[in-house]
Amino acid sequence: MAKTIMIVDDSATMLMSVKATLEMNGFKVETAADGEAALSKLKTGFKPDLIITDINMPRMGGLELIKNVKALPGFRFVPILTLTTESQAAKRDEGKRLGATGWLVKPVSGADLIKVIKQVVPGA
Amino acid sequence: MSPLLEQFLSEARDFLQGIGEKLMQLENAPDDVELMTELFRFVHTLKGNSGLFDFPEMTRVLHAGEDLMDAVRNGRVAYSQQLADRLLDAMDFVGMLCDEIEAEGSIGAAYAADSARLAESLRQLMASAEKAGAVSAIEEAATPLVLTAAAATAPLLAPKVELPLAEIPETARMAAYRSARAGNPLHWLSYSPAEECFFNGDDPFFQARQTPGVVWGGIVARAPWPPLAAMDAYRCLLDFRLLTTAPRAEIDEYYRYMPEQIKLLPVSPLALVLPQGDPNGGPVYEDLVVDALRNLRGGDVSAVARAARAMLELSNPDLWLSSALRWLLLLIECEPDNHPALAALIESLRSLQPVDWYLLEQSATPAVGAGTAAGATEAAAGTASPLAAEEAAALAAIVAAQRAILSLPLGAPWQLGRLRAAGAALAGCLRASGRGEAVHEVETATAQSLACGSAQPLSDWLAHHFAPAAESAAAANHPSASAVATAAARPVATASGGANTASDGDRESSSGRRADDAESDVKFGRRAEDAAAAGVKSVKVDQAKIDRLMNLIGEIVVAKNALPYLAGRAETVFGVRELAREIKAQYAVINRIAEEMQDGIMQIRMMPVSFVFQRFPRLVRDISRKLGKEVNLVLEGEDTEADKNIIEALGDPLVHIVRNSLDHGFELPELRRAAGKPPAGTLTIRATQESDRVVIEIVDDGKGIDPAVIKRKAYEKGLIDETALERISDQEAVNLVFAAGFSTAEVVSDLSGRGVGMDVVRTAIEKVNGAISLESQKGKGTRLRLSLPLSMAVTNVMIVESDAQIFGVPMDCVVETVRVPRADIRSIKKSLTTVLRGRIIPLKSTNALLGLAAPPLANAEDELAVLVVRLGDESVGLLVDDFRETVDIILKPMAGVLAGLPAYSGSALMGDGSVLMVLNIKGLF
Amino acid sequence: MPIEFRKNQALFTEVVSVEDAEGLLEWLQKKPGARIDLSACMHLHPANLQVLMAASVAIVAWPADAAFTGWLRSALAAPP
Repeated sequence: MAKTIMIVDDSATMLMSVKATLEMNGFKVETAADGEAALSKLKTGFKPDLIITDINMPRMGGLELIKNVKALPGFRFVPILTLTTESQAAKRDEGKRLGATGWLVKPVSGADLIKVIKQVVPGA
Repeated sequence: MSPLLEQFLSEARDFLQGIGEKLMQLENAPDDVELMTELFRFVHTLKGNSGLFDFPEMTRVLHAGEDLMDAVRNGRVAYSQQLADRLLDAMDFVGMLCDEIEAEGSIGAAYAADSARLAESLRQLMASAEKAGAVSAIEEAATPLVLTAAAATAPLLAPKVELPLAEIPETARMAAYRSARAGNPLHWLSYSPAEECFFNGDDPFFQARQTPGVVWGGIVARAPWPPLAAMDAYRCLLDFRLLTTAPRAEIDEYYRYMPEQIKLLPVSPLALVLPQGDPNGGPVYEDLVVDALRNLRGGDVSAVARAARAMLELSNPDLWLSSALRWLLLLIECEPDNHPALAALIESLRSLQPVDWYLLEQSATPAVGAGTAAGATEAAAGTASPLAAEEAAALAAIVAAQRAILSLPLGAPWQLGRLRAAGAALAGCLRASGRGEAVHEVETATAQSLACGSAQPLSDWLAHHFAPAAESAAAANHPSASAVATAAARPVATASGGANTASDGDRESSSGRRADDAESDVKFGRRAEDAAAAGVKSVKVDQAKIDRLMNLIGEIVVAKNALPYLAGRAETVFGVRELAREIKAQYAVINRIAEEMQDGIMQIRMMPVSFVFQRFPRLVRDISRKLGKEVNLVLEGEDTEADKNIIEALGDPLVHIVRNSLDHGFELPELRRAAGKPPAGTLTIRATQESDRVVIEIVDDGKGIDPAVIKRKAYEKGLIDETALERISDQEAVNLVFAAGFSTAEVVSDLSGRGVGMDVVRTAIEKVNGAISLESQKGKGTRLRLSLPLSMAVTNVMIVESDAQIFGVPMDCVVETVRVPRADIRSIKKSLTTVLRGRIIPLKSTNALLGLAAPPLANAEDELAVLVVRLGDESVGLLVDDFRETVDIILKPMAGVLAGLPAYSGSALMGDGSVLMVLNIKGLF
Repeated sequence: MPIEFRKNQALFTEVVSVEDAEGLLEWLQKKPGARIDLSACMHLHPANLQVLMAASVAIVAWPADAAFTGWLRSALAAPP
């Protein structure tokens, strides 16, 4: 069964790029433009197999999203990857502390992205 | 262009726009944290996006911008006007690259130098602001360097570690052994996930299973299990152990999210050679052992193999002996020359005790032979000196790096931090290599160096205690160690590069300019105010799609208009009145829907004037600063909307007007003060909607226009003759600035003077059926008023008939329609005229203007139809044959060769399928 | 469901997720002598593995994947 991945990023370009790569590799993809939008989507009962989120976003950033997702009933085990730049090492650690599984470093190559997802999502 | 690239460009322009705006706002509120955060996010995201493509020129500049903004955001660098300037320049450059990408699909190589220079100019700001912090930064960098070097080599220092290798099934060990002998590194990995790791979405079992190069893996519980009733399934109490043949770097990369949870120990391949099985029996194998050892001494390894194979066939495979023989055969296959190992294994058949490979490797000397050495040296090196070969190389590399650092010239006082860093690194080296007693010497030398501001005492100490030749040889033999050296040297090189000392000048040779030049205002082939033109595209729907909708609705309007004709025909030709009425009723419905639809599409095309206005803060700021003037810009009514085409058409004229106003309108602060005005002028740009027109007013409180000067100039330029000079009113004189070829500036400045004057503005405005007027009071200021239609999609035209053809005349131009008795028409100097309400109106025959031979037709009362139209400030009467109705049409501009016909502004399809040519009144004369 | 609970035996199929561990733990508490069939299992989250280890269940069939079985045997196979 195709795994579902939610990407949260305020950059439409980034969403488009990641979405295309994932869909090409047989994943189902949901997108959200910020943490708030992602959270309200998750509250409707949509449950992805993995969430990939940017850190810096308007309204609700990635770290706050992680905090909120982990508090949602049924989401405590959902793997979350943060999308960071090489200069955001501190944010990565902070993300992990809040419950993220790992991180991706922008720019993410398609091969790396798939590799990490296959590492994090069993059965992907 | 790929959709992704399109998306990127469109979004990039939005971000650039946003960055520009935020910078402007920050100028007024430099401490606004929220603004700063937003700004950082814009630059950061844009940089991230650019990384999706291969645009290094763009990414480099954005990266520097991001770092700079990050520094500003964190208070390490203060926001300054200079910073804003450079950032704006950089964003202009990025915008230009976007244009380039859009046009060419890629970025030309020529931009690399500019890109490097801009990035450097941004980094310079950081470097100079962070001078103070640099010393400690380098110090910090030096310490972990030593730690890393020590950590990387730690496993080799470790004494014999008892690994539960015997738990691994023989087949797995054999596979691992083979792989290791084929040149792959062999590691024992133990992975102890955090107890809470499940809540991080981790699946450590899956993680362990997928480990690169895994040849065997096992799981053990960390503690005895509690009764099920007391168990917490979600506390991870498992340890994972595995054997892998993947390169260390690959494993580190794979476990990068949990480096603290894994332990990696190198395993000697021979350690896997652990025969297992039923001991069964005493010294019955003595013959086998004796023969094999003799053959081995005689160098006949194949005889040993033959004997082992024969014995294996005869023995129960579960015996310890069988297991040992299988290993023996494998060793013969993989390392037939490692006689000590073979001999030890054969010997073990006597005792049925596994070989102590660790002991064997310890006692083996490298002289045994090339083949033998391979397995043995790893351990042997560890005993020969306190440092393993790998460690020695790393140490040498670190020392070499310190030497390189110390040999760099000391430019600025803060660079003393380098000395401190080098001293700290060397002290670390001493401790790591067990020479801790010498640490105080380094510390003394460092203190001396710092005291005298020279690297000499420290380099002297270095030369004395570490021989350079040995190091460099070791470093050369060890690529990874030399990489460490490079890495160690790099931060220092960067820091001094940023310091902008005299010696740095030639580093800029790639761009041919010095970094300092970044401050000079080289623009990138595009002016600041042009940047926003692209921003108009942020209507997120492709313009072509809206255009298509426009065309379709145009066709619906035309098709719909055919229905009344059809109704007419039903009644007159076929005599079915009932049907005609029904068609008319249906027409009314379709008409209503079509009109609503048209209105809806018009709404889509509506854009707020802010799309044009948003460029002005930057424009006004840049130009007024350049001119040394102080101008406050006030924007009003930015939400006022008009059709996209109108808004776009407004852009260039408005920029020109504003430039003009800044250049010629406003006085310098001291002149203003002398005139009793506030030193800072105010420029107001205001948009309002007046019925179906949008009105833009540009008001300045500058020096105004002196009608006398205008008159004189106009006369000098031959625009007016002497009589006109005396006659024209001041208002008329002021309006002369719109005359073609008029430019008031004494000198054509590089700002407003592109060699064009206000006439170009007027022409551009009139092209979209707009009007422009100007009022000015000398010494008080100038007010320009642009009036434009809200939409130009639908044009209201009057249809006139001439020489049996119909023509459309835009209602905007029509003043009135009158029928003039032929007797009232006079001929003055071959021109026809008539008098209407006391004014003389020149008359022109439409036929004559269009090159038609037929004379104008008069009606039964011998009256001629005169369509009075506005032509600039004058009224002219067009003689036509007859007037018809007025209609709303969708005007399509003339295309192709017809575009060159000035007499027509376009054509429209009529409901009956005929084509209506719409006259361009100005083009007729 | 990745775990099919039958009378006295549980059949693991596909990927058994972390969420399934609680249910498994409850079931095993009610069925002390239960047996597990792993033949159709591709992967199981270690939370489940821990539960199986703690319950010292009997495995009636191992997965088809030899490497996977190797891992599981190290944790679940009864000591010889």
